[in-house]
Amino acid sequence: MAKEVEGLKHSDCRNFIPVDVAKGICGARNEKVLIDTPVCEKFATLPKCKNCACFTENGDEGFGVCKADDKMEPWTFAELHAVTCEMYRDK
Amino acid sequence: MSKTLADILQEKGIPISFEYGGKSPDEMVSREIQKEPTPRAKKMRDLYFDTLSSATVEFPYWYTRKYEELEHEIPVVRRAEALKCAFSHLTPTIWPGELLVMGKTRYYRGSFPLPWLSEGYFMAREDELYQSALAKGGASADEVTKWGAGGGNVTEDFGNVVSIAGKFGIRNEEVPALLRLARSWVGKSVDDLSNKYERLVPEYEIKENIMRSVICMFDSGYTLPQGREVTNYYYPLQYGFGGIIDIAKEKIDEVAGEADGDGIIGMDRLYFYQAVITVLEGIQNWILNYAKEARRLAGLTDDAAQKKEYEDIAERLEWISTNPPRTFREALQLTYTTHIAILNEDAISGLSPGRLGQVLYPFWEQDMEAGRITEAETLELLECHRVKFTCIDCFASAGVVGGVLSGNTFNNLSMGGLTKDGQPATNGLEMLILEAAMTCETPQPTLSVLYDDKLPEDFLLKAVECNKTGTGYPAWMNFRGGVEFIHDQYQDEGMTLEEARAWAIGGCLETSPGAWHELTLNGKKYSIPGGAGQPTSVGVHFISNPKVLECVLFNGHDHRTGIQVYPKHNKKLETYEELWEVYKEYYELTVDALCKCNNIQHDIWRKQNMGVFHSMLKPDCLDKGHHIGNLGYRYNATYNVESCGTANMVNSLAALKKLVYDEEKYTLDEMKEAILANFGFKTAEEIGSYSLGLQEKKAGGEEFDEIHSDCLMAPKHGNADPYVDAILKDYEDWFCKMCRDYYSLYARPLYACQISVSTHGPQGASTLATPDGRLAGTTFADASMSAYPGTDRNGPYALFSSATCWDHSQSQNSQMNLKVHPSAIKGLEGSRKLLDLTRSYMRNGGFHIQYNIVDSKVLKDAQKHPENYRDLLVRVAGFTQYWVELGKHIQDEVISRTEYEAI
Repeated sequence: MAKEVEGLKHSDCRNFIPVDVAKGICGARNEKVLIDTPVCEKFATLPKCKNCACFTENGDEGFGVCKADDKMEPWTFAELHAVTCEMYRDK
Repeated sequence: MSKTLADILQEKGIPISFEYGGKSPDEMVSREIQKEPTPRAKKMRDLYFDTLSSATVEFPYWYTRKYEELEHEIPVVRRAEALKCAFSHLTPTIWPGELLVMGKTRYYRGSFPLPWLSEGYFMAREDELYQSALAKGGASADEVTKWGAGGGNVTEDFGNVVSIAGKFGIRNEEVPALLRLARSWVGKSVDDLSNKYERLVPEYEIKENIMRSVICMFDSGYTLPQGREVTNYYYPLQYGFGGIIDIAKEKIDEVAGEADGDGIIGMDRLYFYQAVITVLEGIQNWILNYAKEARRLAGLTDDAAQKKEYEDIAERLEWISTNPPRTFREALQLTYTTHIAILNEDAISGLSPGRLGQVLYPFWEQDMEAGRITEAETLELLECHRVKFTCIDCFASAGVVGGVLSGNTFNNLSMGGLTKDGQPATNGLEMLILEAAMTCETPQPTLSVLYDDKLPEDFLLKAVECNKTGTGYPAWMNFRGGVEFIHDQYQDEGMTLEEARAWAIGGCLETSPGAWHELTLNGKKYSIPGGAGQPTSVGVHFISNPKVLECVLFNGHDHRTGIQVYPKHNKKLETYEELWEVYKEYYELTVDALCKCNNIQHDIWRKQNMGVFHSMLKPDCLDKGHHIGNLGYRYNATYNVESCGTANMVNSLAALKKLVYDEEKYTLDEMKEAILANFGFKTAEEIGSYSLGLQEKKAGGEEFDEIHSDCLMAPKHGNADPYVDAILKDYEDWFCKMCRDYYSLYARPLYACQISVSTHGPQGASTLATPDGRLAGTTFADASMSAYPGTDRNGPYALFSSATCWDHSQSQNSQMNLKVHPSAIKGLEGSRKLLDLTRSYMRNGGFHIQYNIVDSKVLKDAQKHPENYRDLLVRVAGFTQYWVELGKHIQDEVISRTEYEAI
């Protein structure tokens, strides 16, 4: 059953297997889904910078800084995947 | 309604026909051989058919982040660290049902921009891209249904997707990051930095004019700095990545602080070995991230069979991340992983796996003997391998990806040829590779047979059967011709005849040097071939031969752009000899200017963006301690001069010689006037067709009818006519020799390369009418030895006679495409005829031939109803591509090629 959650897309879900920029496969339901359609109750958060405790947003285009590296504080962006980031910490 | 040229010719009884040897049946005839893939491969291929080319900034983000952190590091180590960081952070995706896993990005058909090579494209469109990204839309099912036409190309924005470079889609939420990354490379990219120094070349202005007038198609230094070469999998197969790291560590102990007699780059060896270790650690992380993902998925599924597959995948990946493979399955995964890693390291088109069936044979032979794999399981794996290779996309600018490559990536797999000791090199695995190419028709990897009279008949007939699927592969290459060229080209660098036999095709049909390595598996020794040379995608690419002639006729001036391209020659061109001399002068000026600028681009590339991973794979980088840029490869004389439009240029010279100089029927001014008036026809752009026969007469254009008829009737290449064959021979003798007068940045002479890829479309589009009667803007003849459509009137053997009037072993290649109606080669008798035809061309010294076995009516229908032909494959010029992903210039040209109804 689909649910509307403000700003959430299928590409925010850990169960989503991306195929291309428009669609993917829902691993939980084993069906093709469009990225920009409502997510369902099986939604599980995918690690992205925006979901990371080290991320501080500082702009209106989704940009922010990564505080995990407190010396460099490199810029990053909210939608960057962090599945493989060794510094990722859930908010 | 305006009359087309075909109508006019028919009315006048002028014998230009687009069919030879009879008339094709009225009904559409499909291809004789049609097979089906296994359900698994079909599922993966169906997913591909429904997938858009998709770009993401994940790799460039992490690359740039690390690169910026290490401002003061040694360049090769800095690059290695950036690559390690990028590989380590790629998000792994495994699609349900896959046996072979991993990919360039998280998308099924994914790729990414490399702004460190060139960021100019994004900066030039910064505002436009921002606007597209800001105009958020809700993707709807209606929009989704539009995807079919054009295949997977994202040619325009939709929903939350922005189209870039006319082919790739990117999510609009990533566009700001893409632009920020591009901005960070301004003034630092290979493109920007090399341009700064190119400007110091005295001929720079001429070079720029040459590019603007599309006499040359593209700069290779920052677009596709590597490719059209054969890679080498020997070291990972023999030692594993862990073993290579150990070798590099031992080498560091040997070379640290030692120049060893080389006071210039001797010390660089330390940094190179350190860079090798760093990059390999990144690649190991990348593989292990996929293994983790497979374990995660195994933990989620309730399907026992799927769970087992995920666990097997994880186990394979964990093993090959460090160790040499033990089985065929592991070896296939490792070679595929290695291939993708190379393609992520740099922008590369035409990275060929070489003679992969011979490379993997040891593993397959031992698995078959031990009962670890069956032929059916092998076939399924090879089909999956085809789909994975077809998913490879190459990100470059629109002009390069569309205009030159037609979206193709040219991962050419070679088969056949001879072994080190001169025996047939075919094996049972190559038979299965051919079978998989029939059961699972896909553009990649395309196939080439290295033809030799010694090859067994059953293998050759199997290859012909594969041709009859209509996919255009395998192409046929002359093995002994290749050996002659390779041996001659590289003997100064130590090439022996034995080693010359290790050659294979890189890219479309670029003869590339190889080497033999002894691979030991379970105590048994095998000699396997692999690439040993630099890229051949580099050098002067592609020169439009007819356009140079146009500039000769118009005193160096390009009428399309209004640019004075070359210095005025101010000659009256009173004799054919004088015309030919000026042609050669302009051509040499072109090669000179382009070669110098190109050398600078590649010099910047090797200093800033050298291949580390790819370098260490090829001999003798690991032994010498030098990457490609420091001449680590065994063979380095690989830079070439590529030409386009040879048949139209030769035909035009023949028409001028006959009509202006020998018979004096027209003055040169009259010929020029007719050319500028496009012989009284509308432009190709105006009517939206690029095929000669469909061009429409302008109202009042009849005043040029006679001269146009005479030009069309002048002698044409491909008819065994000594008049025009002599012109081709003169040209080839001069061209092949002239190229060697210019030197690459590695101080090695250039050589001739004669393929068109897709450049005959855009280069034809930017050229006026030509003296052979071709009209303005229409596509040139494809390849280099093919006849211009409709002008080969004496059959294939006459065409072969013309094409072999010169010595093909003087050139890296030549190219001949032939379109044959399926009914002309039906049954076993038809197969034998096609094999005899091929043998005849090879025995006469032709280097390459490939066939489009297709009914032109199918292509015409596909052009009208692309939605019904998503899976239709055609051969273009050295590559096979989905019809719906080809531009109209090329579609029109393939349709109009002479169709042989009998051979």
